Amino acid sequence: MPSSRALRRLLATTLPAALLLAPAVPAPAQVMTGWGLNSYGLPGGVDTPSAEMLPDGTISVGVSHSDYGRRITGAAQVTPRITAALRYSKVDGIDTARDQLSDRSADLRLQLWGEAAGWRPAVAVGLQDFLGTGVYSGEYIVATKNVTDRLQVSAGLGWGRLAGKHRGFNFGTIGGTLNAEDWFRGGAEPFGAISWAATDNLRLVAEYSADDYSLEVETGKDEPGSHLNLGVNWRFGEAYQLSAYTIGGEVFGAQFSFALNPNKAPFPSGLEPAPAPVRPRVAPAADPEGWSGTWAADPTAQPAIQTALADALGKEGQVLEGMVLDANRAEVRIDNRRYIQQAEAIGRTARLMTRALPPSVETFVITSMREGLPVHSVVLRRSDVERLENTEAGQIAAAAQIVDAAPRPAGLVATPGIYPKFRWSLAPYFSLGNWDPDESFRYEVGGRLQASYELSPGLVLSGSVRQRLTGNADQKAPSACPTPGGGFGGCTVAEYLALTPEENLASNMGVPRVRSDGRMYSGNTSPVLQDLTLNWYAKPSAAIYTRVTAGYLERMYGGVSAEVLWAPADRSLAVGAEVNRVKKRDYDGGFDFLDYEATTGHVSLYYDFGNGFLGQIDAGRYLAGDDGVSLRVKRQFANGWEIGAYATKTDLSAEEFGEGSFDKGITIDIPVSWAIGQPTRQTVGASLGQLARDGGQRVRVSGRLYETVRDGTADGIYHGWGRFWR
Amino acid sequence: MGEVLAVSASTTIERRAVRLTALLAAALGLAACGSQTGDDGGTLGGSLVQVARQAIGSAGGGGAGAPAEAPRSAEQMAATALQVNPGPLVLAGLESAGVTQVLALTGENGAMRTYMTPNMEGVILRRGLLIGTRGIGNDLSTAEIGTEGLIRSRSAGSGNRIMRIYGGDGRELPLPMTCTVATGAGQSFSFAGTAWNATQVAETCRIAGAEVQNSYLVTAGGEIPVSRQWAGPGLGYITLQTIRP
Repeated sequence: MPSSRALRRLLATTLPAALLLAPAVPAPAQVMTGWGLNSYGLPGGVDTPSAEMLPDGTISVGVSHSDYGRRITGAAQVTPRITAALRYSKVDGIDTARDQLSDRSADLRLQLWGEAAGWRPAVAVGLQDFLGTGVYSGEYIVATKNVTDRLQVSAGLGWGRLAGKHRGFNFGTIGGTLNAEDWFRGGAEPFGAISWAATDNLRLVAEYSADDYSLEVETGKDEPGSHLNLGVNWRFGEAYQLSAYTIGGEVFGAQFSFALNPNKAPFPSGLEPAPAPVRPRVAPAADPEGWSGTWAADPTAQPAIQTALADALGKEGQVLEGMVLDANRAEVRIDNRRYIQQAEAIGRTARLMTRALPPSVETFVITSMREGLPVHSVVLRRSDVERLENTEAGQIAAAAQIVDAAPRPAGLVATPGIYPKFRWSLAPYFSLGNWDPDESFRYEVGGRLQASYELSPGLVLSGSVRQRLTGNADQKAPSACPTPGGGFGGCTVAEYLALTPEENLASNMGVPRVRSDGRMYSGNTSPVLQDLTLNWYAKPSAAIYTRVTAGYLERMYGGVSAEVLWAPADRSLAVGAEVNRVKKRDYDGGFDFLDYEATTGHVSLYYDFGNGFLGQIDAGRYLAGDDGVSLRVKRQFANGWEIGAYATKTDLSAEEFGEGSFDKGITIDIPVSWAIGQPTRQTVGASLGQLARDGGQRVRVSGRLYETVRDGTADGIYHGWGRFWR
Repeated sequence: MGEVLAVSASTTIERRAVRLTALLAAALGLAACGSQTGDDGGTLGGSLVQVARQAIGSAGGGGAGAPAEAPRSAEQMAATALQVNPGPLVLAGLESAGVTQVLALTGENGAMRTYMTPNMEGVILRRGLLIGTRGIGNDLSTAEIGTEGLIRSRSAGSGNRIMRIYGGDGRELPLPMTCTVATGAGQSFSFAGTAWNATQVAETCRIAGAEVQNSYLVTAGGEIPVSRQWAGPGLGYITLQTIRP
């Protein structure tokens, strides 16, 4: 392992120190950030954008409402200079097929450069509603300058909606494609805003906006009255923001939003107790037997040491699965069940080893276990642990090596009494449906019983059952019933079940319904078997991992899934392949199957770009028999936050795919420890996809290899290395 | 106390010395007089007095089991701890939280010592200089103290210091500071049954327009029995007194 790679990954955070101590002083070329959100949920005035970004990594959700419609916007600062947003909006009266137009839109904003001393303002370009049906479609280039500490001015040029030239709304389109041919076309109009920060948390803003809401006015809404919009934003409790605004003085609106910044943890270092300190070795003269290594010949030595170390590690939330011990070297295999950063678990283990092992043991090997798989091993010299305790984490990183863990090292002694291991939990669950044009908020609340039985390392029987208590996520059939006009429309469940397979297929342009009937699986009031599988993980050679999962894999499919992954410790690249033979499960959540079967398979490429950016490409066959490619990018913060986006394009045409044209979505994962300060590996996740369509769908097998072993890989370990001495 | 203040007023670094004296006064348990407030608005002495008063409830007595009756002053806390714990002890006050606790030695690695409370909140000291904290919530990972030589030799001068804190993003965040060290008057005092002769040393550090100040009482041998040290933007100041070296 080249140490430069280690150091590049962990040396210091990119947070400017100044932010912690003093109000940010705009340094040259620094990213300009702001907190005041416009009614589109992004930094700006009332309707107009500014060149500001959110603080890096921030995730913000805002709900704004006015007579012109309701917008729910989720925004993420994916890199310091790129803001991405997804919006779900309702506009009355535009969509003739429904009472309201319900539309998903996406925005991107790029800050080209930040504010500099003197006159140079920050400048950004942006695309508003660049996917989908284009009701808010517009582009802009905008400059923003802080004139004084409290006074800020923005000015820009807007196209499309921002120039007061809406691009209409074409019901015939299926959306989801880039309407790039419209971008920056159709004539530009200027816009501008002045904002004044009355206090650090109260902002008044006045803007000139060319948007005259003609689209909404055409459907009977009041005209804005003027192009002058006024607004006030009030921030409270760090995360929350309330704003009120008027569009042209005639129409009034309000917005509530909250923002989470992964870099601002309530307890940045966590509240877990201090680790046991290093115990340096005594001088050789004080313990000649310990230093000579003759103790290793005593058969009672290893069991005693292993028991003591297992107990001590157990108090740290680490399971000591096995140990190889000789006079000069000790390997411990730990399953970290407490700390979100594997490096923290390793640092604590190393310190406990200094307290438990005789002085002749100079080489410490700490192997990270995941699902019984020995992933990568951190190799440390004990003298370095003693010498570098409580110094900058980069120093011990430079002295450490990370190597592939040997699958079956000679002399490995399993810690007795670990297997078989039975675990269970009973907990409430809350599930929220995808955004849906007809019903934006579908939920279900109930109880979930989970259990797992680990027969031996890597061989696990696990399952979970859900019992719904309440909710409005009812069973609903897809729009598959023939209508008099020759199209297809809504069905009752009974009508849907009465369709022949041929009729059903015909209603979906010949594409098998592999996910679009997802809501048929909802609304069960009896217990539902979510999954029940036998998982077998193995590591046949130093860098190769395998998984076989059989049983009820997920709510909609059962079968067999087999996977192999090559993930060597000295590469940022991993390669995997997966094959699944699955059958569709019955809607009732029992043990029965429907008569759809599929064989799917993928070849996957994973790459760690450093700084927490991960990329993944999967190519292969999906559930509906379609072939294609998925692209997934993810940003992982060292504290465990993850923001990701994915897109899949297969050989289904946009028409065959249906609304949205291709499958895409974003995922968010927030570690519980970040919020509460107590150490736990639990995370809270959300996936915002679009409508469940049938193209580009994979089986949702849990425990896929890359995500399973990632924490224990060199990249995963280095990523959180800053907490080695925590 | 009046006498201590008079001494400090005669030094060349008057303001710092007054601060330091207030600290010393409080630290020595003179705070028991109760009404003492530091002349700069209680940043130091005043708050420490308050700490000493309020903290009683949480004063466990490092690794020693809390006595039934809560002690009422730093001196009393120290006395109780000395009775029940035979090892080295320090009294640490976290000003921002208004908590003072006795910490007992749990590890020694060269000159570096780790002291912990019974519920495993720890401070790491190198001969009295604060190197790190653990388990408090805004912990200091480590400190690289370029001014250490000046402080121990009680010499004026300047140097750099890097405080590394655990950032909210899960990494180590370095806070590089430039510091100047100034010295003040000598003091003789006793605390928890130990008599000390020490000199006031003040270290003023700047980062990003902000200024923090560490205050020490340093013996001729370079030991630091009493100090008030900045542990980072989240934790603020920690006051430290040696109960048993």
